[in-house]
Amino acid sequence: MMNNIENEIRTMVSIILEVPVEKLTPDVDFFKDLNVDSLKAIEIVAAFEKKYRIIVPEEDIPKIRNLGQLIEYTKNVTG
Amino acid sequence: MMKDRQIVITGLGVIAPNGLGKDEFWQALKEGRTGIKSIKRFDTSEFKCKLAGEIQNFKPDAFLGTKGLRDLERTSRLLCSAAKLAIEDSGLNIDNDNTDDIGVCTGTTLSSIWNVAEFNKGAIHDGPRFTDAALFPGMVMNAASSQVSIRFNIQGFNTTISTGYSSSIDALKYAIDFIKMRRIKAVLVGGVESLSLVNYSGFYRLGFFAGINGEEVSCPFDKRRNGIILGEGAAVVMIEDLEYALDRGATIYARVNGIGNCFDGYKMGKYHPEVMGLKNSIKEAMRNSELDVSDIDYISASANSVPEQDKLETKAIRDVYGRYAYNIPVSSIKSMIGETFSAGGLFQIAASIGSMYKGFIPPTMNYEMRDDDCDLDYVPNKSRITRINNVLINNYGPGGSNAAFILSKWN
Repeated sequence: MMNNIENEIRTMVSIILEVPVEKLTPDVDFFKDLNVDSLKAIEIVAAFEKKYRIIVPEEDIPKIRNLGQLIEYTKNVTG
Repeated sequence: MMKDRQIVITGLGVIAPNGLGKDEFWQALKEGRTGIKSIKRFDTSEFKCKLAGEIQNFKPDAFLGTKGLRDLERTSRLLCSAAKLAIEDSGLNIDNDNTDDIGVCTGTTLSSIWNVAEFNKGAIHDGPRFTDAALFPGMVMNAASSQVSIRFNIQGFNTTISTGYSSSIDALKYAIDFIKMRRIKAVLVGGVESLSLVNYSGFYRLGFFAGINGEEVSCPFDKRRNGIILGEGAAVVMIEDLEYALDRGATIYARVNGIGNCFDGYKMGKYHPEVMGLKNSIKEAMRNSELDVSDIDYISASANSVPEQDKLETKAIRDVYGRYAYNIPVSSIKSMIGETFSAGGLFQIAASIGSMYKGFIPPTMNYEMRDDDCDLDYVPNKSRITRINNVLINNYGPGGSNAAFILSKWN
């Protein structure tokens, strides 16, 4: 189940950032390594919120800087 | 007093229902080939009408590559592709030294409706907290024009002109004024509209389409005409200050000779019965050109197969040119591409440049039945081989916005 979520998130981020899935390792930094700008960051958050029907509080957004953290975050909020 | 700047056209890019790129477009017009076909983009089973000037073979990655494409909605893809062709055609190399001297000015009116509608649909289906953030930037009217500036690093001014049917020539006039004021040296002037269920349904519900009360055909000036067939696409020209173009050794297509626009708002969605605005626009364009009535070789009409529009345009031409009107060939390319609304005028300019360079007048296709109210020479069904030096381009519709432009061949 969790592997499914991991794959889903990786695919979703890969489409939005136009980066191949294999390049999206858990610790590659969205901002430093992939040049993600604020608009793209909002797009990822919005797509994530819509998919899992959860609202990410504003203060949590800066804490998510890579795929590993996003997956970890999902595990926590979806139980 | 400062000498008035001369302005020339040095580049052209076309993404039209009947041809991608200027050569394909010109060839289609010369052969009278239509781009009007059964709509594939959305289901038309609930409509009585089925046709549009839809561009079905457009692959944006062929022009723009794949990177960043997902951020562009259809209108921006069409406009950016046409802009790329126009920049390449002009040979103007845009870099950090000249980027501030180059502007973008786009005529478009319905382009952001699709994004607005999709965003709204999300708000209704998923709730206001789960709307698609990626759609939001494309909801503004100037999205497509801005994408051109971003993609091609053009940092002079960027403006969108949204005056409906006359947006193309109004955008051109705005850009010309900028060059004349010496605030900019070159401008990419574009017109764009894209087909979507939303704008199709809107025009349909207003009863504006051919096929609701008659045959579903775009037949300007023909007695059977009963409404528009909607079209889509983008046409972009590079206009420049003459000295700037000569300095860089540009190939020049044509010269801006006269231009005029005039608002004659009458009643919501109604034409002015005396077609004052269009007549005044043509007169203004003639006055600020150096041409006599007999110098106009061809009139590219705004006629779109709406009964009143084609009749009133005929009247305007007769009233301005008197008996000489019967000597001037008049044709409407909307018989082949449909009514592309804000992009219409730029398609007419693109077609007219082809007329000058390939030596032909595009035909008014589907012309079968004469109407006594429309009694000029409409170049029916077959293009005419002839030399063209000066073209008058009309741009108008219901709603009060009118514009006219005179394009002259560069010798």
